[in-house]
Amino acid sequence: MLSRTIRRSILDSKISSSALPPTFLLPLRARCFNTTTQHIETPSAGLDASQMPLNSVAASAEDAVKPKGPPRRKAPTAPAPITTPMAVDSSVKEMLPLLAVQPSHYINVHIHGKPYLVTQGDSVRLPFHMPGVIPGDVLRLNRASSLGSRDYTLKGAPYLDERIFECRATVTGTEAEPMRVKETKKRRNRRIHTVRSKHKYTILRISEVKIKQLEDIKGS
Amino acid sequence: MSFFRITLMRSGIGLTKRTQGVLKALGLRHRMTTVFYPVTSEVAGQIMKVKELIDVQEVDKPLTRAELKAERRPEPGFYLEKPAPR
Repeated sequence: MLSRTIRRSILDSKISSSALPPTFLLPLRARCFNTTTQHIETPSAGLDASQMPLNSVAASAEDAVKPKGPPRRKAPTAPAPITTPMAVDSSVKEMLPLLAVQPSHYINVHIHGKPYLVTQGDSVRLPFHMPGVIPGDVLRLNRASSLGSRDYTLKGAPYLDERIFECRATVTGTEAEPMRVKETKKRRNRRIHTVRSKHKYTILRISEVKIKQLEDIKGS
Repeated sequence: MSFFRITLMRSGIGLTKRTQGVLKALGLRHRMTTVFYPVTSEVAGQIMKVKELIDVQEVDKPLTRAELKAERRPEPGFYLEKPAPR
């Protein structure tokens, strides 16, 4: 106790306000502390304890409703109908009726530039996942490079006129490959980096392959 | 103003540093890259230095990267005729 009072009296005697150097010589932080006026701020309405949980709940609900991530891609919609008259070769005029009369036909449809040789009733597993389609959607395939039967083939350069045929496919579902694990490793380093892949593929069923006659095309 | 549409058809591997320098200056990194430059004597001189490796056309409007990509993209070949009820 005594030591404390002695210590205090010594400190008081040694350091007084007059001993401090003038304000302009003090370091900047000390100057700011000395010059600012102190005042008490009233808390705003938003900081009210009873309101805070409600605000946070409302914000989270809005976030849940807003969709996140890249925009969903949609399937292409019907293009504008072609108005230019069809250029008909003499061989086409002569043999198209013969081709149409034959019992079964095949068609080489092109999806994103890749050909698929199909006939009615075929199931096609595309090597990619088609975005924007669900099982039950009917797709109209309009790019074909050749259309044939047992005895005749109609070839396009590079594609056939889409008014000559009608080819429809139904999306039956999506398939996934078995999980693949790729391990990558640098030489003389024990850390093995694994990458897992499980790609999806869309499956179509070709529901219709139909050849139209020239009279039907010109009439429409 | 018209533009040169320059496409690199043959690679510059194994050619002199001078020739490779010209390709670098034109921005032709690898085969089938396409660049657009306004028609001036400087660009014409660069083209003459590497004329055996490139394919040149004169066009009115330079295309952007997105437009060039869209040119190469094949048509989808299908459209959604009758969507199932969602």
